[in-house]
Amino acid sequence: MISKKNKEKQVEKKNDYRISFFKPTTALSRTNRNLVVLLVIIWAVAIFGFQILLRVMQKPVPESSLKTFEKVWKNVELGMATQEEKVDFANSVLSVLGKSVLISDPGNRTVLINAVSSTVYDLIPEEGKEIFRKEIADFEKKKENIRSLQDNEYLQAKANIIDRIAPLLNLKPYSLKAKLLPLVISAAEMEVFQPENKEKLPNIMKLYLIHNRSVLTDTNFLGFPFHYFYTAIFLLVMFVALCWIYCFLIDRVHTKLGTNEKS
Amino acid sequence: MKKISISLLLLLLATFLFASNATALEGSFKVGPAIILISILILFVLVGLFFRAKDTTDYYAAGRGVSRVGSGMAIASNWMSAASFLGMAALMYGSGYHGLAFVVGWTGGYVLLLILMAGQIRKYGKYTAPDFIGDRYYSTGLRATSAVVAILISISYCVGQFGGIGLMFKWVMGIDYMWAVIIGSSVVLTYTLISGMLGVTKNMQIQYVIIIISFLIPLFILTYKFDYFWIVPEIGYGAVVTDIVQGIPAPETTNLVNSFGHDFAILPSPEYAMPWDPATGKTFFQWIAITFSLMIGTAGLPHVIQRFYVVPKARDARWSVVWGLFFICILYWSAPVFSAFGKILSADPEIGVLAKDAIVVYTAQLGDINPLIVGLLAAGGVSAAFSTVSGLLVAGSSAFSHDLYFKVINPKADPKTQLRMARFATVLMAIIVMFLAMLKLALIGQLVALAFSLAGCTIFPLFLLGIWWSGSNKKGAISGLAVGLFITAISLTYFVAGKAGATLPFHSFVSYWLGAWYFAWIGAPLAILTNIIVSKLTEETPLEIRKFLVEKVHS
Repeated sequence: MISKKNKEKQVEKKNDYRISFFKPTTALSRTNRNLVVLLVIIWAVAIFGFQILLRVMQKPVPESSLKTFEKVWKNVELGMATQEEKVDFANSVLSVLGKSVLISDPGNRTVLINAVSSTVYDLIPEEGKEIFRKEIADFEKKKENIRSLQDNEYLQAKANIIDRIAPLLNLKPYSLKAKLLPLVISAAEMEVFQPENKEKLPNIMKLYLIHNRSVLTDTNFLGFPFHYFYTAIFLLVMFVALCWIYCFLIDRVHTKLGTNEKS
Repeated sequence: MKKISISLLLLLLATFLFASNATALEGSFKVGPAIILISILILFVLVGLFFRAKDTTDYYAAGRGVSRVGSGMAIASNWMSAASFLGMAALMYGSGYHGLAFVVGWTGGYVLLLILMAGQIRKYGKYTAPDFIGDRYYSTGLRATSAVVAILISISYCVGQFGGIGLMFKWVMGIDYMWAVIIGSSVVLTYTLISGMLGVTKNMQIQYVIIIISFLIPLFILTYKFDYFWIVPEIGYGAVVTDIVQGIPAPETTNLVNSFGHDFAILPSPEYAMPWDPATGKTFFQWIAITFSLMIGTAGLPHVIQRFYVVPKARDARWSVVWGLFFICILYWSAPVFSAFGKILSADPEIGVLAKDAIVVYTAQLGDINPLIVGLLAAGGVSAAFSTVSGLLVAGSSAFSHDLYFKVINPKADPKTQLRMARFATVLMAIIVMFLAMLKLALIGQLVALAFSLAGCTIFPLFLLGIWWSGSNKKGAISGLAVGLFITAISLTYFVAGKAGATLPFHSFVSYWLGAWYFAWIGAPLAILTNIIVSKLTEETPLEIRKFLVEKVHS
């Protein structure tokens, strides 16, 4: 072992003490280089390779609500929609309004609120329109002034609105969309579906209802969408494993070459 | 130690006796959580006092006598900042799969750190990152510049942490954000000053235990309560993610509800889990750039690198990374659970807009978890911020007192004067950070990621080439550092201008491709390339440096 060490020292001297990761001069640095290169390749392919694969395989897939929306939109836009089409339209818009990600963009939210408020208002029979508008305006005031969400008057007013509109949209009163209605219908946005909002709506719907999907996102693994499991769980396990393997192997190399550091 | 245990026991007893309800999401003074928080802060100061530094070796490097597992815990605690504890879930809550770029970036960098640097850094045997750079590149100017860079990194990182401390103190005590920052900074400053790194290292081990326990308990409760596989919540929440994608219909009869009585239900929201979803406004490029920048930033952060000086041998430095990463991953596997439950529990629009950075605590509250456990969670958030801040203050003050004052300004300074200067620098930095945190310049995650990119563009290339290529010389290092700083300056100029509402030429182009939290994706490769080209064109590294590298670092 000693003669091997001396030999390596002589090689270094000959090399005038030059160190390069890619041109190792000792057995230790050669083994280390090979190990590092192997681990970096595994590391890089596992992280970036998988994301590239995900990107290559992805296809824009619309939610069913978008398909419904696209089926009825032309007639809604031209003001020629039937009652059923209006119901389908309001339901598809509600499925976007229920997404909390929207909160970050108040502009888009306003367009959607205008779309759903004006459609629901349109669906109300003529004789009930004024009462409905007043009911919504009163509820909005109550909502601003309540101290607790458990306020009895507030809860009652909310339930009344749900009972009135949910059947019009073919919704069960306990459904999420029905419960959403009192919170997204605005008295100020009922009268007209503004032309500028009509222009923006199709793009907003596409923005929130088309998703990048592939077999990697649609396969379920341990309850997760596979790609999510891979990135959130597996990669981290792999990082710990790579570190452990490196330490274990490099310790063995040091022992084998007799290059263990003294305390 | 016995006295500390008794005091802690009494404080905890008082907590359980006088605990009060903490159901209001914001605004009120929460007695139970407040007592838990105060108990933990007192514990930190007592531990700091008990293990305080006696000389400069103790102050900088904890006497080089910390075990591998202990050092691993300290690495994890040092690492798990407010950004990890609070910001990680916030990022996934706000932008879904995009947030996982931070999870991968903040863990994958440790593989690079281990296989490329950890053992070699320990073998080089210096106290601080600028110490290594000044020595390896035989340049006082580089030592001073990298010391300034190290201080800037520490400050940028600390500002984010103080933001987190402010947020949690505000939540627990119902006090103003400004006062929350002032109180929090005073406490962290006190014990960092008293203890130095020896106390800090012991504190970090205790902090790790508090952080991880406080983080995990609510997860078991949430998964159990809402009928998911609760034995391993980190696996059980997979079904939660799938439920978010497919939607959970509201039941006819109320069954599972949040603390406001809303059904545990959500409309189909695939944007939460699908990659770079258009609804989040994030792209594939940003995912890759953030991951890469955070990874190389990890391997270039002075306060992380400095952790390797406190273990006895290079082998211990390597194994401490394995332990450190494992301890870190426990939290990183768990953080997405909070965001997934938070997504469903806050799905009802009645909840309103929640501060994303506090979503971990809000999720526990919305899940109607016992207020004391929520309080412990908030205290864990504060601990996470404290542990990182203390490490950063030590790294920053070391850069000032050791690398600027002792090595450049006054080489004759005795150890006592050096220690005094380190403490002066700690106070000065804490005051600057406190002031900046009060200005609320950006979100926690933004400021922290910025520090990573800065480290990735400046310190990382110098360490990488300094260790692995003896051909890298002073002029190459200066040129590489200049390029890294130039890219940083461009990115920050556009970032600050954007914040101020100004529009510079090619604003959207530069802001996108050189975003403030991922500019290292191009800055670091350019800095490395410049270093190599200039080194090749100029005179060789002196023989004694090459000899040192061969005989001490790579032997």
